[in-house]
Amino acid sequence: MEFRFTPEEQKLAKEAHELMERERTPELLAETLELGGIYGGPEGRKIGQKMGARGWLCPAWPKEYGGLGTSETVKLMLLDEMAYMGLPFLFGGASMAGPAILRHGSEELKEEFLPRIAQGEVEFALGYTEPQAGSDLASVEMRAEDKGDYFLLNGQKMFNTHCHVADYHYLAVRTDPNAVPRHRGISMMVVGLESPGVTIRPLITMAGWRTNEVFYDDVEVPKKNLVGELNRGFRYVMTALDFERMVTIGMFRRLFEELVEYAKETKVDGKALGKNPLVRQKLAEIAIELEAARLLYYQLGYILDKGEVANYQSSMEKLFACEVAQHVVNAGMQIMGFYGQLQLDSKWAPLQGEMEFQYRWSYLHTIAGGTSEIQRNIIALRGLGLPLPTA
Amino acid sequence: MDFGLSEGQRMLKQTARAFLTAECPSSLVKEMARDDRGYTTELWRKMAELGWMGLVLPEEYGGTGGSFLDLAVLLDEMGRACLPGPFFSTVVLGGMIILELGNEKQKQELLPMIVKGELIITLALTEPGSSYGTSDMTVKANADGDNYVISGTKLFVPDAHIADYIICATKTAEGATLFLVDSSCPGINYSLLKTISGDKQCEVVFNKVKVPQENIIGDLGQGWIQLQSILRRAAIAKCAEMVGGAQQVLEMTVDYVKQRVQFGQPIGAFQAVQHHCANIATDVDTSKFITYQAAWRLSEGLPCNREAAMAKAWVSDACRRVTLLGHQCIGGIGFMEDHDLPLYSKRAKVAEIAFGDADFHREVVAQELGL
Repeated sequence: MEFRFTPEEQKLAKEAHELMERERTPELLAETLELGGIYGGPEGRKIGQKMGARGWLCPAWPKEYGGLGTSETVKLMLLDEMAYMGLPFLFGGASMAGPAILRHGSEELKEEFLPRIAQGEVEFALGYTEPQAGSDLASVEMRAEDKGDYFLLNGQKMFNTHCHVADYHYLAVRTDPNAVPRHRGISMMVVGLESPGVTIRPLITMAGWRTNEVFYDDVEVPKKNLVGELNRGFRYVMTALDFERMVTIGMFRRLFEELVEYAKETKVDGKALGKNPLVRQKLAEIAIELEAARLLYYQLGYILDKGEVANYQSSMEKLFACEVAQHVVNAGMQIMGFYGQLQLDSKWAPLQGEMEFQYRWSYLHTIAGGTSEIQRNIIALRGLGLPLPTA
Repeated sequence: MDFGLSEGQRMLKQTARAFLTAECPSSLVKEMARDDRGYTTELWRKMAELGWMGLVLPEEYGGTGGSFLDLAVLLDEMGRACLPGPFFSTVVLGGMIILELGNEKQKQELLPMIVKGELIITLALTEPGSSYGTSDMTVKANADGDNYVISGTKLFVPDAHIADYIICATKTAEGATLFLVDSSCPGINYSLLKTISGDKQCEVVFNKVKVPQENIIGDLGQGWIQLQSILRRAAIAKCAEMVGGAQQVLEMTVDYVKQRVQFGQPIGAFQAVQHHCANIATDVDTSKFITYQAAWRLSEGLPCNREAAMAKAWVSDACRRVTLLGHQCIGGIGFMEDHDLPLYSKRAKVAEIAFGDADFHREVVAQELGL
């Protein structure tokens, strides 16, 4: 056992930290919150490209595609640091579409997209969810008809959060409407979001940031944009989630540290909040949960670096991290009392009102990227080998 | 990061699993819970032959010089088997105190006997009316020429009824001081306390017990401070035991829900039950990592006050949740005294409060946060 990073890993993380420290501007921090942590905004792209030029967006990728050939652990460290420092940390390209193209894509697709993803030049939006396909992804209906030398796409996507700032859509489409079971008729493809026939409409969340519904009306997609084999898409998505469903709690670690400082400095009834035994217990509990989440997170790196597949472990990490995130903001709101309700830049708002914003956002954590219930199903079925129900 | 065991640790784990499965079945655990002595000399002797008592003691005292992490691996398996008897008190408490705080003469005399399984030794710390972690002792040791005279009552002393020596934490004029007390001294009275899990904890009354000055362990007046690293170590060691128990409850529960049929299918096919199992698995994995991280840091000589407190706080709560959900999944049959599950739920409760409960350790974490 060895619960520490290698000297090389530490060195790289330190260099990355220094760059982030230097380059993060108030504009960047504001943009990150405004976009809900996703990559693709103008400020985010500035620092993303600086990191990309050093190979830090996809450090574990081979050098030929813009990586450094480092351990997966380095990737996790950098992502965690970005989230901690208030930089974008949700990457459709570097974390989701990119690894899928790397693993399943044609040589042509790899050459076309991977270096640009690794450089931070292009961003992808995930196109999985539809009005009738949420947790039940096998119900994807967006139709892709084979028209000989291209696919013709028609249908609607929901909650595709990156679309208004991204360049490409990493899209799950139905290529076989008669497939039994249904999941064997789904394929993955890359579509330029500027393509004629694509309409992106905003949906505003209770956190204030924007997600989208996206309409495809007779959109033509070249055949070469198919990722992997036809009708194998569902499998790619599911296995991709084992590699990429890694949720960093970096943003909440920083928020928690600020909360601890707040508790030390703030006096209520003449006494520092941090001297109140109930507050102390609550903060300690959160610190412990954050530590447990950190260990689950880096265990994923350990598994991948051994060349093994994180199976139920990535679901467990996602489940745990997202619940801890909710605990952090809930504890924050409770400890701040009346002041917790004050919004960004309001008079009297502690932590510049970020807790209130994070609290509104936190309802989503246990839903997006696979609900907590779905994660528990995966742990039970794949991790513990429990049976599927019979009808 | 390396979350895996070394080759040697894997072998130790395998050996321990095989040995305890054969020699410490649940029938023995149940018998020992009812038995007043609470252990068999035969099993004790065999454990000594395997070198377990000397696992973390240096070779010069007959041990094999293993690391604390090795010991954690072994304790994990012992927790899984609900091993009865005085291993924890003799090795984790007594042995470690003598090794860390004892003088050379005490080490030469006592440690080789521990290694051979010829000595049972325990720590008397808690007192009536005191919380865990208070340095204010009521058991007094008054100087009387070359001797000290100890008087007062200790509670929850593990295995005192079978111990050859009791290390007693006392208050002297100079402050807290540890004494090695021969348990056959006149003036010592034991009574076994009836506890939830049938483990052996005693009330020990010291009535003017005369102990020679040379039996002081560590420094006069420094006993409390010197005990802190031992108690931190004991808390991590207790976590390792709990982790083994929780892992066993997970496996027991999963096996059961795969087989138990209701409504025409195994109950493990129902999401309500699946989610209980997923929650157990999450508590088990997090407990494992947080415990082994603390054990690793201690082994490496790194500061681990924060990590040890985090581990004991987390694992204490997590293991209680694990056994509770185990009972919920296994249902009525798991409530039967004959079933193995109650062994684990009762033990988890005892372990939860040993060496500081979750609240106690969260307060330590709060202090580490600078609050």
